[in-house]
Amino acid sequence: MSQALEAKVEPETVLEWIKRIGSDSSSTVPLLQAVQSEYGYLPRAAMDLIVKNSDITGRQVYGVATFYSQFRLKPVGRHIIKICHGTACHVSGADRLNTSLRHLLNIDDEEQDTAENGSYTIEQVACIGCCSQAPVMVISDEVSGNLTGANAQRALKKHAKKSEEVVANL
Amino acid sequence: MDANNLNVIVGEGTCGIAAGSKEVIEAFQKYAPEINIKSVGCVGMCHQEVIAEINDNNGNRYIYGQVTKKTVPQIIKFHKGEGEPLDENLIYSPEKQDSHKWQYLGHQTRIALRNVGNLDPTSISDYEKRDGYKAIKKIVAEMTPDQVIEEIRISGIRGRGGAGFPTHVKWDFARKSEGDVKYLICNGDEGDPGAFMDRSLLEGDPHNVIEGMLIAAYAIGATKGYAYVRAEYPLAVKNFGKAIEDAHALGVLGENIQGSGFSFDIKIKEGAGAFVCGEETALIASIEGDRGMPRCKPPFPAVKGLFGKPTIINNVETLANLPWIINNGGKAYAAYGTEDSKGTKVFALAGAIKKGGLVEVPMGTKIRDVLEDIGGGSSSGKPFKAVQLGGPSGGCIPESLFDTTIEYASINATGAIMGSGGMIVMDGSTCMVDLAKYFLSFTQLESCGKCTFCRIGTLRMRELLTKICDGEAEMSDLDTLDELAEQITKSSLCGLGQTAPNPVVTTLRYFRGEYEAHIKDKSCPAAVCKSLITHTIVPADCTGCSLCEIQCPVGAITGEKKVKGSYAIIQAKCINCGMCFEVCNSKAIQVK
Repeated sequence: MSQALEAKVEPETVLEWIKRIGSDSSSTVPLLQAVQSEYGYLPRAAMDLIVKNSDITGRQVYGVATFYSQFRLKPVGRHIIKICHGTACHVSGADRLNTSLRHLLNIDDEEQDTAENGSYTIEQVACIGCCSQAPVMVISDEVSGNLTGANAQRALKKHAKKSEEVVANL
Repeated sequence: MDANNLNVIVGEGTCGIAAGSKEVIEAFQKYAPEINIKSVGCVGMCHQEVIAEINDNNGNRYIYGQVTKKTVPQIIKFHKGEGEPLDENLIYSPEKQDSHKWQYLGHQTRIALRNVGNLDPTSISDYEKRDGYKAIKKIVAEMTPDQVIEEIRISGIRGRGGAGFPTHVKWDFARKSEGDVKYLICNGDEGDPGAFMDRSLLEGDPHNVIEGMLIAAYAIGATKGYAYVRAEYPLAVKNFGKAIEDAHALGVLGENIQGSGFSFDIKIKEGAGAFVCGEETALIASIEGDRGMPRCKPPFPAVKGLFGKPTIINNVETLANLPWIINNGGKAYAAYGTEDSKGTKVFALAGAIKKGGLVEVPMGTKIRDVLEDIGGGSSSGKPFKAVQLGGPSGGCIPESLFDTTIEYASINATGAIMGSGGMIVMDGSTCMVDLAKYFLSFTQLESCGKCTFCRIGTLRMRELLTKICDGEAEMSDLDTLDELAEQITKSSLCGLGQTAPNPVVTTLRYFRGEYEAHIKDKSCPAAVCKSLITHTIVPADCTGCSLCEIQCPVGAITGEKKVKGSYAIIQAKCINCGMCFEVCNSKAIQVK
């Protein structure tokens, strides 16, 4: 993965969150959520700052960060595509959305989930509760439903055009 | 007709947005900027999204389904007194009150969902107009906590989150527990794939849930509350947050509510994506800032819960029933349902069904009636095969048992559970072994790892199911599955492990033939399992359009463009992803 995706952590920002959200152990999840919503993942530097400046221990930060599926320890693309894998989406072809979008973004390596140019990251997520519109995906915050592999590609192309991203196999 | 007096109401739940409600609203603004537009939550007719309701100045309601930006101009024209009505999209109008589309709601009994889709979730005055906050004002002025618990006992309501424990019993424990602080938690960690009633309630009628929390808090003596909402539901978090602020401003939440001396406040805690946090003690651990791992019971949370204090955790749907019960009396609620199960239950209907969405019916309704009368039958025209009830903890009920009534006891007898109410309908195109593998993969990933059998046993089951789907299993593997299922159920601490084998156990019981076909004949009767199927192109049907070649992600299709019947699949390269089948306009792709 390219170095360009690594986030630069500003210590003041993290300290500000600790001040606002809290420094006791019950603030662990909300603090990590704040970090992730800023950087897209949990940079090591930000987790270290939390441990140093609060009552939360390193064990707790790392334990929580690795337990919940929301948290990522690796940098992500500029936009995130969430493909729903709820039951209804599974039986109506969520797998095909995955295949077709990975194809469009030229992500061949099964271990990878981000396009080479850092544009999009594909995530498999648990049910987002739009079962009657299955299969469903979310690009950035836009939900679209009743998809096929082909019109999922169309939706991604439309999004890429709007946000001036280059999609590999366009 | 003057368009100035027209009101348009558009459903903007997550499902409405997924179907394109933003575009529809933009179209209304473009073609009739003078119209008043209001957003409401999801009415639960997901199959008709985007839904737009027009109220004209004579007080008439016209409800349109499957509205797109293209149909908006015609709708506006008609309501301005020109052009023809858009009949095929009309669900309801003064002249058309018994359309089959309207029957979807007509066959339901809506208590928990009574407001969803009928009010603007961001407007507290909309909620007040529909008897909102009447119940909490009544109880703080006229009822003791014990009287409230008694009323709930009479109603007979049981927890709607899955386990079905009588609500009043739980409350009574907490009421009698000693503690300087008590907590009330709203469990909105709706993790069952296939269930979305909590999302719809939190998004579409948040004040109703807040009022339910107030009633519960008053009954048990709680002063602090948490609403634990899944991170996957951003709109629910947003609407619920706004509702908390507005309730504060109105004086029905916060210090000394209505001058009664009763104080209660609510904080939102966003989940971080862990299915196991639907379990009470895991949810508590998560709020405390730990990994969401279940703890031993007893002590029960009602005695020693969040931060070691007495805590009650109620599911969103349970809470949404409470204001109605207080306003109408426990007896009125108990009049619905059966001896074993009182009141109504909300189901999320999805899958191979014509009209999917949210359905609220009295307990005791037959499964078949929900699927046929409300759901409108199979969407593919193929006969129903089974319905999966209760998500990963539940089981598959075959078509032959569709006359089972919806009650806790009779559903349990089939091997499934009521669960949170996800109802995924399946026809012949779903492979039951693949489905069992799907659920086991889900629970295996979501197992917190505390109990050995749940952690490793589910992995072993998943491996066996993968072996079966790949056509590499032996008949003796089925016995191993049975054995593992029993051990995992017996030796897991929480509901996740105890129920994880259910999807396998029920599909083995009702669809053993499909398992045997995978093992003995190396074939998948539903043509789903990738290792056991092949895609081929029938030359006689191929038009040479090249779409399949363009879409194939592995370059396994070759042929000459515009030459009929020239395309063929190189089997050695094909990964059976099904992209070609999906894009082929001439149905030339065969899957066997």
